[in-house]
Amino acid sequence: MEDMLEDTVLVNLRINGKLHELEIPAHKSLLDLLRDDLNMTGTHMGCMTGHCGACTVSIDGRVAKSCITLAATLGRAKITTIEGLTQDDGELSPVQQAFWDEAGFQCAFCAPGMLMCTTELLDANPDPSDAEIETALAGNLCRCTGYQSLRRAVKAAAKLKQNTREAAE
Amino acid sequence: MGEQKSETEGYVGQSVRTIEGRAPVMGKATYTNDINFPGQLHAHILRSPHAAANIQSIDTSGAEKVAGVVRVVTGAQAAEHIDPIPHYIDPAVFGGRSASIRCLALDHVWCFGQPVAVVVAEDKRTARYAASRIVVDYEVTTPVIDSEDALKDDAPMVVPGWDANMIMQVPFGGGDVAQAFSSADRVIKTDVKVHRFSTQPIETRTYNGVYDAGTDSVTLYGTVQNPHPLRNVLSKILRMPENKIRVHAPVIGGAFGMKMHGHPEEGLVCFLSKLIGQPVKWVEDREECLLIGAREQVHSVELAVTKDGTILGLKDHYLANTGAPSSCPGWGMAFLTGLTMPGPYAVTNLDVQLSAVVTNKPGWNASRGYGKEVTALALELSVDNAARELGIDPVDMRMRNFIKKDQFPYDSPTGLIYDSGDYAGVMQKALDAIGYDEWKVKQEKAREEGRYLGIGVGFELTPEGGTLPGTFVAGYDSSTVRVAPDGSVRVLTGVTTPGSGNPTGIAQIVADELGVRLNTIEVVQGDTTTCPYGFGNSSGRSTIVGGGSAAKAAIEVREKIIKVAAALMEVDEESVSMKDGIIASGDKTIDLEEVCYACYTRAYDVGSVIEPPLEATAMFKPGLVRHTPNEKGQINPYPSYSNAAYVAISEVDVNTGEVKLLKFSVAHDCGNVINPILVEGQACGAIMFGIGAAMAENITFDENGRQLTKNFMDYVMPRIGDVPSIDLSHHDSPNPVNYKGLKGAGEAGVGGSAAAIVNSVNNALTPFGVMMTETPLTAPRVWSAIQAAKKAQPQRKVA
Ligand code: FES
Ligand code: FES
Repeated sequence: MEDMLEDTVLVNLRINGKLHELEIPAHKSLLDLLRDDLNMTGTHMGCMTGHCGACTVSIDGRVAKSCITLAATLGRAKITTIEGLTQDDGELSPVQQAFWDEAGFQCAFCAPGMLMCTTELLDANPDPSDAEIETALAGNLCRCTGYQSLRRAVKAAAKLKQNTREAAE
Repeated sequence: MGEQKSETEGYVGQSVRTIEGRAPVMGKATYTNDINFPGQLHAHILRSPHAAANIQSIDTSGAEKVAGVVRVVTGAQAAEHIDPIPHYIDPAVFGGRSASIRCLALDHVWCFGQPVAVVVAEDKRTARYAASRIVVDYEVTTPVIDSEDALKDDAPMVVPGWDANMIMQVPFGGGDVAQAFSSADRVIKTDVKVHRFSTQPIETRTYNGVYDAGTDSVTLYGTVQNPHPLRNVLSKILRMPENKIRVHAPVIGGAFGMKMHGHPEEGLVCFLSKLIGQPVKWVEDREECLLIGAREQVHSVELAVTKDGTILGLKDHYLANTGAPSSCPGWGMAFLTGLTMPGPYAVTNLDVQLSAVVTNKPGWNASRGYGKEVTALALELSVDNAARELGIDPVDMRMRNFIKKDQFPYDSPTGLIYDSGDYAGVMQKALDAIGYDEWKVKQEKAREEGRYLGIGVGFELTPEGGTLPGTFVAGYDSSTVRVAPDGSVRVLTGVTTPGSGNPTGIAQIVADELGVRLNTIEVVQGDTTTCPYGFGNSSGRSTIVGGGSAAKAAIEVREKIIKVAAALMEVDEESVSMKDGIIASGDKTIDLEEVCYACYTRAYDVGSVIEPPLEATAMFKPGLVRHTPNEKGQINPYPSYSNAAYVAISEVDVNTGEVKLLKFSVAHDCGNVINPILVEGQACGAIMFGIGAAMAENITFDENGRQLTKNFMDYVMPRIGDVPSIDLSHHDSPNPVNYKGLKGAGEAGVGGSAAAIVNSVNNALTPFGVMMTETPLTAPRVWSAIQAAKKAQPQRKVA
C-alpha cells in the first residue's frame, strides 16, 4: 500500500493576533493551512501558481502569496489575513469601508488580495500616486472591475485614513 | 453613496452601495469552495493527454492501492449508473448534428483534457497522486486541429459516426446581393481571424455533491449560473426525479458564461456522492479551467462599397472552430455571430453563412458577448480596412452607414427586430468625450517626433436577454416579494448573480415600487428549493427580468399594505401614500411595522380587506421577441439591443512592437440605468476583456492538439497597469417594451473595445502600411507586421 503520510514540523505562529501551535506536513501551503485546517476561508484560491493574488496575506508585515508559501517554514511568523482587517470594535477598516463605498469589487473573489495589498501600501505611503497604486496591485488579477473602481477605492481609502488620523489628533 | 439618497427621488438611478454589505470585505462571503461537510471527500479527474485516441484498457489497480483512496471510477463503470449529459442547446433542435456527451469518456477520447476516470479520496492531495497511478492504454489517432483542415475530404471524423465535422451550416441574409456587388464601385475583402480565448473568472468551477440516503435526494452546491435548468439536466443524468434534487449556488466569484452548465463534473460529483454515500467535492484547477474555449473564428468579409463609403452589400462565409462536442451552450455563440450581422449598419443585401465546425480541441462554453463580440470584431476591422482603402475617415464611414435613429424598431435582414437606438449619437458622444479631433492633432505632432500614436474606434451592437425556443435559454423570469410582520422584506428571484451587483439593482427597484427603505430588503437567489422557478444568469438578462418581475410582485404587495393601512387609519385608500417605509394620509402617519403586523394578525377585522400573507409572485416576460418564424423562417430571440461605441488611443513602440493604451472612452446605450456605479463596473469590466482579447489572452495548442496554455503566465490577462482610465458616458434610448426601459448592461463591450484597440494599432502604423486583422496583437506579432510591411514596401519613406 502506498501512503502519502509524511513528516510534520511543529510550528508556532500568530494569525490575526491569535496563537496557533500546529503540526504541519512539509508540503502544505499556507493557503491550504488557512482554508482547510483552520477554516479561514476569506483567503481565496485562484491559481495555486502565484499569479492571481487572490490568496494574498501579510506575513511579518509584508504581503505574500499564501499558495506558494510553505506553512512549515513559518515558525514564529505573524500573519494577517482579510479576516484580521476588521477593527477590534467590529468597525470596518478604512480600506474595507472605501472598497465597499466605491464598488472596489464585484464578485469580491480578488478582494482578499486587493485589500491586503492596499492596506500595506497605505500603511507605508498615505498618499500614493497612480503609478504607486499600480505597482502595489500589480500582482493581483481582478476579472470583474476593469480596475477603474479599484483605483478609486484605493484613493478613497487613503482619504478616509487621512480623515480618521486627523480626527484622532 | 451608501443608503442615503436625495429626498425627492427614489433609489433607482442612484449609485447605492451593494446590499451584500460588509461580508465581502470581511472575508465572510461564502463561496462554494468554502463549504465542507462532515465526511467530505475530494475528487480528482484523470484527463486525456491526447487529442484523439481510442481507449484500449484502463488499469486502476495502482490508484486503488494508495492509502486514503475511497473509490476509482472509469467511464465504463459510470455508464452503468448515469446517462449522457443533456445539451443546454441541443443542435438537433435546430436541425444540426448532435453528439452524446458523457461525464467520463467511454472508449474514445476526442480532445485533450477530456475526463477519462475519477479518483475519490479522503484529501485532494491523495486523490491527485492516485490519479497519476491509473494506467490507460490509448491507441492514438490523428487529430483535426484546424477548422479548415476539418472540412477537407480526407479529414478524420472527430465524432465517430458523423459524416462531416460540422454541427451545422446556417445561412443568414437576404436582399439582392449579386446586384449590390455588381453595382458597387469596389469590393473590399478583409480576412479577420479571431483567436481562442475565454473568460477565466478568478474563482474556478467547484462542485460539491451531497447525497442524503434517508430521503434518497441529492444537493449540488456549485458555481452555477442557472440552478433550475441544471436541476433538470441532473435529473436526466442521475435518473432521479427533479423533486429529489436541489441545486444551490452560493456566492459566485465571477462567471461571464463559463459557469453555465453542461460540464461533466456537475453530474459526476452528485453520482459519486450517491455511490459512496459521502459528500464529494471537486475543485477545478486553473489548467483545467483554461481547457474551456470560445470564440475562435475565421471570417472573410467582403464589403461592396461606393466611392463615398456607402456599404451596398456584405458577404461573409465564416468558420467557427467550436472544438469537440460539449453539452455546454458555447457552440451557440457561433450562431449568434451570424445572426447579429450586419450589426449597426443599414445594409440590407447580406450573404452570411456560418459553418460551425468540430475539431479535436476541447469544446467551448458561453463567454461574455456570446458570439456578438466576434460580429463586432469582424465588422469593425472590415470597415476600417475599407475606409483606409477608400481614403476616408473611419468615423465618417460608420456615420454614413449607421441605421438612423428614426428607423426603429428596425427589421434586420437576419430577422432581428432592433428595439431602439441612436448609433450616430452614441458614436459622437464617445468621440467628444475623448477629444477625437485633438488626438488627431497630437498624432501628427507625435509622428514628427518619431512616436506612433493610434486612434481607433469600434462599435458594438449587443442584443441582450436572449431566448431560444425549445431550450432553457428563456426570456422570462419570476420573483417573489415577501414582507414579514415586522415590515422587513425578502425578495426571492429566479435570476442569479455572478457577482455583478444585480441583487442591489433588484432591491433598488423593489424599494421604490414597494415604498420601503433599501436597507430593509434582502435578496435571495440561486437555490432551487427556496427561489421561484427561474433561468438564472445569462445574456445580460438578470436586471431586466429579475427586476421587472420583482417590481410587479412588489406592486401587488404594496396594494395590500395600503388597503390595510387605510382601514387602520380609517381613511380613503386613494389618500394613502407609502415611501421609505413611511405610510401617510394627509397629516396622519402610521408605522409600516404596525400595518404589516395587522395584515398577519387581524385577518378577521381590519385585515379582512386583503388576503394574507404579504407575499406575491410575479413573472416578467419582455416583448418584441418573435419565436414564430416569419416567411423567411427567421426568428427574433432578443427583446433588447444594447449598443456602445468605443474609442481607444494607443501608442506603439515600433522597435519592440509593444502597444501601450493611453486612453479609452465609451458611450453606452443600455437603456435606463438603475445603478450608475454598478453599470460603470460592468462596462469597465467588459472593456478589460476587450483589452485582453486584443492584446494578449490566447489559448494555444501544439500540432498534436495538446494544449500549451496552462496557467496565468501562458494566458496573459490584463493587470491594473494595462488598463488606462476609461471615460464612460451614457446615451440612453430606453427600450420601449421593457420594465423601466432597461436593455441589459452585462455583456456589451468585449468585441467593440477589442476592435477599437486593433484599429488604433493599425491607425498608428498607417505610415508603414500595416493592417493587422488577426488577433491578438501581441508585441512579437506587431513587430513582425512592421518588419514585413517594411520589406514589402522598401520604397515607402517612413517618418
Ligand atoms: S492562488 Fe495564490 S496567486 Fe493565485
Ligand atoms: S471583483 Fe471579481 S475578480 Fe475582482
